[in-house]
Amino acid sequence: MVISRRDFLLRTSGFVTVSAMVPRWAAKGAGLFEESVEAAFANRTLVVLELAGGNDDLNTVVPYTDNLYTQMRSRIGVAPGSVLPLDSRLGLNPVMTGLKTLWDQNQVALLENVGYPNSSLSHFASRDIWHTADPLLAQRNGWLGRWADRYIAGNGNPLSCTAISQSLPRTLLSDNVGVPSFVNLASYQYSTDGSYPGDRSNQIRTFLTQNGGEYEIMNTPDTLSQVGEDAIHSSDMLQTVGAGYVAGGSYPAGTLGAGLLLIAQIINANLGARILYITFGGFDNHATENRDHDPLLTAVSSGIKAFFDDLDAHGKAHDVLLMTWSEFGRRVQDNGSNGTDHGTAAAHFVVGNAVRPGMYGGPPNLSSLDSNGNRTIENDFRAYYGTILQDWLGADSAAILGPGYPNLGFLNHGYA
Amino acid sequence: MSVNWTRDSAAHLLRRAGFGGTPSEIDDLFARGLEGAVSRLVDYDAIDVTAYETSLAAKNYDLTNVRGLQQWFLDRMAFSPRPLQEKMTYFWNLHWTSGISKVRGTTLILNQNKTERQYAVGKFDDLVVKISQDPAELVWLDNYLNRAGRPNENYARELMELYTLGIGHYTETDVREVARALTGWTIQNYQQADNYNGATFLDNPAIHDAGSKTILGQTGAWDGLDAIRIILNHSDSQGSVSGRFLSAKLWSFFAYRYPQPYIVEALRDVYVASNHSVREVVRAIFLQPEFYEAHTVKTWVRSPVEYAVASTRMVEATTDFATASNSLAGMGQVLFNPQDAKGWDWGTSWMNTGTLFARSTMANTMCTNRGSNGTRFDPNRLLAGRDASTAEKVVDILADRLNVNDVSSKIRASWIDYVNANDDGSRGTWTNTATNVDKKVRGVVHLMLTSPAFHLA
Repeated sequence: MVISRRDFLLRTSGFVTVSAMVPRWAAKGAGLFEESVEAAFANRTLVVLELAGGNDDLNTVVPYTDNLYTQMRSRIGVAPGSVLPLDSRLGLNPVMTGLKTLWDQNQVALLENVGYPNSSLSHFASRDIWHTADPLLAQRNGWLGRWADRYIAGNGNPLSCTAISQSLPRTLLSDNVGVPSFVNLASYQYSTDGSYPGDRSNQIRTFLTQNGGEYEIMNTPDTLSQVGEDAIHSSDMLQTVGAGYVAGGSYPAGTLGAGLLLIAQIINANLGARILYITFGGFDNHATENRDHDPLLTAVSSGIKAFFDDLDAHGKAHDVLLMTWSEFGRRVQDNGSNGTDHGTAAAHFVVGNAVRPGMYGGPPNLSSLDSNGNRTIENDFRAYYGTILQDWLGADSAAILGPGYPNLGFLNHGYA
Repeated sequence: MSVNWTRDSAAHLLRRAGFGGTPSEIDDLFARGLEGAVSRLVDYDAIDVTAYETSLAAKNYDLTNVRGLQQWFLDRMAFSPRPLQEKMTYFWNLHWTSGISKVRGTTLILNQNKTERQYAVGKFDDLVVKISQDPAELVWLDNYLNRAGRPNENYARELMELYTLGIGHYTETDVREVARALTGWTIQNYQQADNYNGATFLDNPAIHDAGSKTILGQTGAWDGLDAIRIILNHSDSQGSVSGRFLSAKLWSFFAYRYPQPYIVEALRDVYVASNHSVREVVRAIFLQPEFYEAHTVKTWVRSPVEYAVASTRMVEATTDFATASNSLAGMGQVLFNPQDAKGWDWGTSWMNTGTLFARSTMANTMCTNRGSNGTRFDPNRLLAGRDASTAEKVVDILADRLNVNDVSSKIRASWIDYVNANDDGSRGTWTNTATNVDKKVRGVVHLMLTSPAFHLA
């Protein structure tokens, strides 16, 4: 029996067929994209910052008055006297002055002990769980990809969901919404032969034909065949965003600072981007943690501060919310290599004008650890996501995540 | 079910077991028949590499920096007369890769690559032991710091999760116990004075936890060799766990992801019967009829490394791989420097708008290089001896060479239109002139190299 391409796709687990797509590009100007969201939410942008590798939140938000912290982190702990206190029990790592300033300006909600029951200690399983919001790993698409399929698919804007990343983050994987991904705009265009500039338009036209979904691919989502079309159209829109741009914040050197600057440029160019995603890695600090972790926290803190300064300078901060996530926290007891092994629950930040500032969840309870020496969960990460879906994106969170996750209240419901 | 062995089958086999063939290589493999062709690739010890190794050495790639290492390995993948040996070395590089950013010593990374090549199709157990004692791996996943009483479970976890068993086939207790068994496998002479290049393996009993451990249900005073033996001989109700894990991964790499259970079971049986021989599992893959079926052909998304190697070797470019090496970051795969222990995802995750442009830029650099340095090819040579009198014939010659002759008639027509087109977009007529060859042959090769049909192998 001959198995057809489509049959094979349907039979093989792991891949799903992507139906013929609505053309993503309809020659519309930004602002005319049709989206099925209420007007009050239509101008809002969500920035997702992934701290890849498993951030040691105990050295980020330090329970500095807890003797158990001092004991179990005797080799690599943050000195209690050095923290930037948030209250009488928790303080930021002393390198995080930028975030502390934002905290003092009531721009930060701190969610403590976020995770899910029976946490996987595998980077890769836990990362996929966070990406898909599904501990059973039965969902192919990401949680924001499912949002995109439901609310913005077919809106014609190739930049609705954009990743400052070398690869497409699974959080944004969807059936019907393409995700431009890049780390550098200068090289974000189709090169042709400089010796024959007159031939360029012929090349571009042919490239669009051969990448227009026409090539039938077995065992692979049709999105591959469409990537070229997305690329050309998003490139056309993006090529101008950096020209003459004056940053209103001082971004730190390095990839995170450069990426957040690019995100600010895209937001300030009014291109209709709704989700902007950035990955920042290096947090798997099994050894020499202080040497490796502190510079990462510095970049996160000063990068977020510069980003919001820049948005403020352009009058855009009102419409932007930033959230962090990481696949897990780390073992409370350090590992003897001056590092930490994989953990479970961790603290995350939500930053922006729309937050109801403060702490959501108590200090970590270091006296009640599981059989692996890891912390217990206080806030389910799906409640974290759900609150953002409801109150920032105006979405039906139960339809995307399933029912039963409480709104954690860290956003102003009536924000407008 | 049997294999209908055709020239296209040989081209497919060369794309998968190697990095794509030139027309003469495909002809040669086709003439050998299925078993002969597979044996030619798999039993590669019979192929003399002396001349190639001499020519490679003469290129003097700078093996003291990672860029030179990349060029050296890319050259091997493109031009070694043993394509499967390099493809398997590349497989192990993806499976077990260590990153220069953490390891620091380029010699350690080079030696790991040599180990992966030496044991590429040997007994799996031997490779697992060699890599577990490999200085680059010991640094990469911190086992060199793993001491009695102060265990570091990083390598122990990935040894089972990523390298031998897969998630779900061990417990958190097993992770801790294997970590204890691996205490004492460390390195010596790892120091800044020689840029971390002098480290060697050290089995240090003074920091080994000699106590009793229970690993996958077996209790004893296990050491690292015991732990690896127990892991690789572990069976459940469906037989050898490592056999299923490795078979599924090899099938996923050479054929397609998510193999049907009966295929995994057949390969598992080969693994067990051959005493864990990687060579025999790979041979069985290439002899499996499903390997040649329509749902396998042209479904593998070339990684950036494979794309760089295939594009240069299929146009028979002259190259030092400097352009390829420089292009790896933008394409999303810095060889010898993955972001984490899992290495890179395969498949469609390679392809997004940014990496697509980076591929097109690398291809364009090659296609438009008219100088005498860097990666370049002679467009006249691609048409030499062939009737290139019409745009149709030009497109068909080049599409056959690049193995993109499977496109729809609409895409073929768009290439023909391109070859005929005037600068203002109007329809002209191709004539076989020096200017047209320089413009349109280079141009259409670039288009073909940036089409989905070439991103897939």
